Amino acid sequence: MRPFLPIAAVLAVLAAVPFVVHSNTTLNFLVVALMIALAGQGWNILGGYGGQYSFGHAAFFGTGTYVTAILQVRYGVNAWFGFVGGIVAGAALGGALGALVFRSGLRGSYFALVTLAFAEVLRIIASVAPITGAGVGTLIKLDLGIRTFQFQSRAAFYWIILALVGVSLVLAQLIERSRFGAWLIAVRENEDAAKALGVDASTVKTVAMVISAAITAAAGCFYAQYFLFVDSGIAYGTWISIEALLTPIIGGVGTVFGPLLGALVVKTLGEAAKLLTGDAPGLDLIIYGTVLVLVIWIMPRGLIGGLASARKLMRREAPAAPTGEVRHG
Amino acid sequence: MPKQGKLSRRQFLATTALGAAAAATGSVAMPSVLRAQGAPVKLGVLHPVTGALSYSGQQGRLGATLAIEEINAAGGVKGLGKIDAVLGDAQSTPDGGTAEVEKMNSADVCCIVGGYASNICLATTQAAARYELPYVVDVGVADGIVTRGLKNTFRFGPGFGVISKTALANLAAINEQAGKPAKTVMIVHEDSLFGSGLAKLLNAQLPQQGFEILETIPHPTPTRDFNNVVLKIKAQNPDLIIPANYYNEYVLLARTMQQQQVKPKGIYSVLGGAASSYKFVKEFPEAARYIMDCNHWFDPRNEKALALKKKVESKDQFYTYEVYMNYSCVYLVADALERAGSANRAKLTDALASSTFAGHVMPYGPTKFVNGQNEGAAPVNTQVLDNDIKVILPSGFANAKPVFPRPA
Repeated sequence: MRPFLPIAAVLAVLAAVPFVVHSNTTLNFLVVALMIALAGQGWNILGGYGGQYSFGHAAFFGTGTYVTAILQVRYGVNAWFGFVGGIVAGAALGGALGALVFRSGLRGSYFALVTLAFAEVLRIIASVAPITGAGVGTLIKLDLGIRTFQFQSRAAFYWIILALVGVSLVLAQLIERSRFGAWLIAVRENEDAAKALGVDASTVKTVAMVISAAITAAAGCFYAQYFLFVDSGIAYGTWISIEALLTPIIGGVGTVFGPLLGALVVKTLGEAAKLLTGDAPGLDLIIYGTVLVLVIWIMPRGLIGGLASARKLMRREAPAAPTGEVRHG
Repeated sequence: MPKQGKLSRRQFLATTALGAAAAATGSVAMPSVLRAQGAPVKLGVLHPVTGALSYSGQQGRLGATLAIEEINAAGGVKGLGKIDAVLGDAQSTPDGGTAEVEKMNSADVCCIVGGYASNICLATTQAAARYELPYVVDVGVADGIVTRGLKNTFRFGPGFGVISKTALANLAAINEQAGKPAKTVMIVHEDSLFGSGLAKLLNAQLPQQGFEILETIPHPTPTRDFNNVVLKIKAQNPDLIIPANYYNEYVLLARTMQQQQVKPKGIYSVLGGAASSYKFVKEFPEAARYIMDCNHWFDPRNEKALALKKKVESKDQFYTYEVYMNYSCVYLVADALERAGSANRAKLTDALASSTFAGHVMPYGPTKFVNGQNEGAAPVNTQVLDNDIKVILPSGFANAKPVFPRPA
């Protein structure tokens, strides 16, 4: 149980926020940040633990978004089942894409390019296919109620997305501590060596892709329920692929809390930059970009990696002074 | 009884740690307010001023703020005082717009004006509906914006249905008048809500008017290279090209056609992003020449519209439709506020629903909202002639006759 205590503590603190903060602006901000954290955690399973840097996680996010919306709007499926359907569809797509790509032996930049291209192909298909509403998109009717998975209160949405993030944190922790996690990390560190030791690299990567896709698709399903509108640019646009990989990179790739920390920091930075620049259009984005570059430059292993290094440095420095004195003495 | 002035450890932690977290996470990130002294009325002005639609968004913001400045200079809304503009940036995305609606609601605005793009408007009006916050859509033309039964949503300008109907009727009339020189058509449209919706309508209705559609080419926004699209057009050599895209893409497409010397009998836009833009005509007069457009346009006989044009041009800005539509929308809200006698959202919604406002600069007549849509709103047809934009239809507003087919 012990390894899960930090997760429980973080979730408990975050769950208490709506009791203290009543501003819907803040809750909306946190909901979006947590949604990005969820998408980022999906990317982190495959990219962080498995070393497979996908540039096209929009494919899973978008599939989750569209399936949730289409099941409700076109087939009258209950929103909650639509939500589950979206996750399943995302996972299935992850499995199919993983089987295709990993069986073909595509790695590194080739893998990144294929995922990028795949998401783009889906975007183009979604922009013309009648079932997605083509360029017009799909609009879920505003109909507040538990049955329709639409809430007046932002706090309700906040707790739902927090619960999803909680599940993803537990999953990441379980993977990190499991045999499967060890295989995944072995594949990341040296795929050929892992294979030599008997690890079925392509199956391990495909399973990781399924889990990764399911988590990112869950973020997409949530998007559909929260914003009630989806078009091809939103669902399969590059924005979400970038957000999904940026947050773990900033927070700490291959760490349980990296995506969550990264999402909160990146989104707060964006808001702070906006606050700082007032009404000068675009200036906030310049500041935001500059700070991000600086963070990656100073802490290439992300915030969690940076903090760990700083802690190590401080520990080393503390006893270093007396040792130095002895040497000189 | 809690002791005054003393703070317990728990209270201290609650107020500092969570307060800091709240501040850090944006609860204090309110949209900035252009303060007018003692102003009781806050009005949300929401546009995509950054991102792919930034030019249009900034023009929209200009129109709205000019109207607010004028109203405030004249003493504000009668009985209520001056208007505070709470500016918001939708960042060219629906979720960016929704976040701004949340902030504006927290800032206690009485109404929101703007949105510009259809997909932003769909999301933002719905977000505002949760708070029964009145929302006046400036441009967003998707019919879905006003057919969802949202009581808070009002659209001042025309929607797809009316625009496409007018555009098709006028195209048929222009072609007929010229002896039907145009028989084949190619449509180039951006692939989001606005362009695709329009392309769908044109594909359904143009064949009924006797036109053959050779091909419909979608493209994303932003697109920065139209060479392949224009090569396709060149290969098929249609009589008429119908572009439906936002400003930057429209300009690029027209320039690429000019570079590759593609000269169809006519370029007829429906809501062409640049076709009715003075900026485009001034910067690329050759590419713009003879382009026809069915679009939002000011009433050229309206003194107020011409005065606003002068004012905008004196600021070295172009008089685009975003400017005068937002300008009109703010005046519409100000009129409703005056009649409601209060900034109360429910009263303002009622006042907007019963509005018969005629003090705007558009050729619409007095406003009359039916299910949130201004029934009098209609587009006009323009053509770029003599390095200027002239109205060619309807004849009641026209200051030039159409030149079609374009001279060689």
